[in-house]
Amino acid sequence: MIKLMRLEWKKLKQKSVIGEMICYPLILMFLPVFFIEAVSADFGQSYAAVIELNLFIQMGSILFGASLINQVFIDEYKNKTISLSFSYPFSRQKLFAAKIIFIALLVFLLTMASYLLTGVTTYVIDQIHPIINGDLTRSDIITFFSQMIFRSLIITVNSFIPLFYLGIWKRATVPTVICGVVAMNSHLSQMINLNFNLVLVVLCVVGSLSVFLSIITAENIGEM
Amino acid sequence: MEYIIQTNGLTKKIKEEELVSNINIHIKKGEIYGFLGQNGAGKTTVLKMLTGITSPSKGEILLFNEKLTEKNKSILTRVGSIIEYPVFFEHLTAFDNLKLHCEYLGFYDEQDINQALLLVNLKGIEGKIVKDFSLGMKQRLGIARAIITKPELIILDEPTNGLDPIGIKDMRNLIRMLNKEYGMTFVLSSHILGELEQIVDRVGVIHHGKLLNEMTLNDIRKERSDYIELVVTDVKHAVYLLEKDLHISNMKIIQDRKIRIYDMAHTQSEISRTLILHDIGIEEIQKHSNSLEDYFYQQINGGDLDD
Repeated sequence: MIKLMRLEWKKLKQKSVIGEMICYPLILMFLPVFFIEAVSADFGQSYAAVIELNLFIQMGSILFGASLINQVFIDEYKNKTISLSFSYPFSRQKLFAAKIIFIALLVFLLTMASYLLTGVTTYVIDQIHPIINGDLTRSDIITFFSQMIFRSLIITVNSFIPLFYLGIWKRATVPTVICGVVAMNSHLSQMINLNFNLVLVVLCVVGSLSVFLSIITAENIGEM
Repeated sequence: MEYIIQTNGLTKKIKEEELVSNINIHIKKGEIYGFLGQNGAGKTTVLKMLTGITSPSKGEILLFNEKLTEKNKSILTRVGSIIEYPVFFEHLTAFDNLKLHCEYLGFYDEQDINQALLLVNLKGIEGKIVKDFSLGMKQRLGIARAIITKPELIILDEPTNGLDPIGIKDMRNLIRMLNKEYGMTFVLSSHILGELEQIVDRVGVIHHGKLLNEMTLNDIRKERSDYIELVVTDVKHAVYLLEKDLHISNMKIIQDRKIRIYDMAHTQSEISRTLILHDIGIEEIQKHSNSLEDYFYQQINGGDLDD
C-alpha cells in the first residue's frame, strides 16, 4: 500500500501540488489577524475566540482535498491513464484505497501544518502588535493542540464529500471544486440557526460514506 | 497443448447491451495471434478484459492456466499491453514513464529501460517530456513499455497506428525477433489485414461481438486456393468450352456472367485464347491470390467486399 501511495505521488504534477501546499498555509496564516483587524474586533476578544476562529479558517484545506481528487482521480479518468493502473496486478479496490489514503494523508498533514503555522503567526503578531485581549493560558494551549489533531481529522474526512459521486462516478472537475467550496463554508450554516457541530457530524458521515462507496463500488462504478 | 490464453463464454454487457458474447479464444504459447474485426466488432473490449482493464460480465479468462479475476490479478505481471492507444503521464519524461511502469510491476533495472528504448529506436530522447512526442513516437514508447519487463505475453491493439512505413516494418521485425528469440506470445489486433498477414500464425475473426472462427494462416491458404475470375458475354457456352477443350471441372458460376476457375492448370492466356477462338467476348479476366483479406470478408459477410 505504501508503495502504491508513493507511486501516486510520482504520477502527480509535483511542482503544482507543492505550490498549493505552500500557498494554502501562506494565505490562511494571516487570516485571523485580517478578520480581527478588518472584519470585527470581536474575533480577538480572547485567545479562546481566536482558536475557534482558526478552526473555521482551516476548513480552507477542504479545497485542497478537492484539488487532489481532481488530480488523483478525475484527471486519470480524463487522460485514460487509469486504464494503465487497472492493467497492473492490483485490484481496483486496492488502487482506490491507496489513492484515498494518499489524499487523506496530504490533506491531514497540510491542515495540521497550516493550523500550527496560523496559530504561531497570530501569536507572534499579537506580541508585536497586540490585537487579542487577555493572555494565552495553559488551557488555551491544550485546547489549541488537541483541536489541531481532532479538527484536522474532521477536515480530512469532509474533503472526501465530493469523491464518490462527483469524482469517481461523474468525473466532473468544476462541480467537485464547487462542492469543496460549499463544504469549506459549512460554518455559515450558523447564519440560518443550524447547530454547526451537528452540521460537522453530518458532513463527516457524508464524507465517510463517500469513501466507503468509492472503495466498495470500485469494480463497477470505477470501470472505464 | 499449452495455452497461454483461454476464455470460456466471455461476455461483456453494459446497460443490457452485449458488447461481446460467448467468446472462446485459445492462444498457444509462442504463437503470434491476429485478432481481426471491423471497427466496433468488439476486439478492444475483449483485449481490455484480457488485460484486466475491465471485468467480464460472464465467463472466465485463464491466463497461463490461472484464472484472471479482480481479486487475482498477479498473473498480469507476465503480460505487456497497449490497448486502444498508448497513454502516458504526459508531463513526465519517457524515462520516468517507463520507470513508473516498472515500479508498478515490482521490476526495476535501468539497463532494461535503456535496452527497450534502443529496440524501438527512441534512444537519446528518454529525457524528453512525453507531451512533446508525435503519435508515432508515443506508439514506439508504448511498445517499449509493453516489452520492458520481457513479459511472456504481449497484447497489442492496433500496434501500427500512427507509424510510418519504416516504423511499421521495424515493428514487424521487432515482434518477430521477440517471438523467436524470447519466445514471447503475441496477440495483435489490426484493421490492416495485409500487415497482419505478414506476421501472424493464426487468426481469430470477431464480428458483431461474436468470435466466428480461429484458424492458422496455413489452413486458410490450404482451404481456399487461388482462382481465375472472368467476366464473359456467354457464360453457358464458356463453361461448356472450358470443360470440353481445357478439361476444367473445378469452377463456379458466381453471377450472371462471372465464372471463377479454381483449377489452376491453365494460364489466363490459354483460357482467353480458347474462349476468343470461339467468339466469346471476355470483358474481364484476373488471377486472384487468396489473402487474409479474402478470408476475413468471407467470414464476416460471405465474401462480399462491399458490405
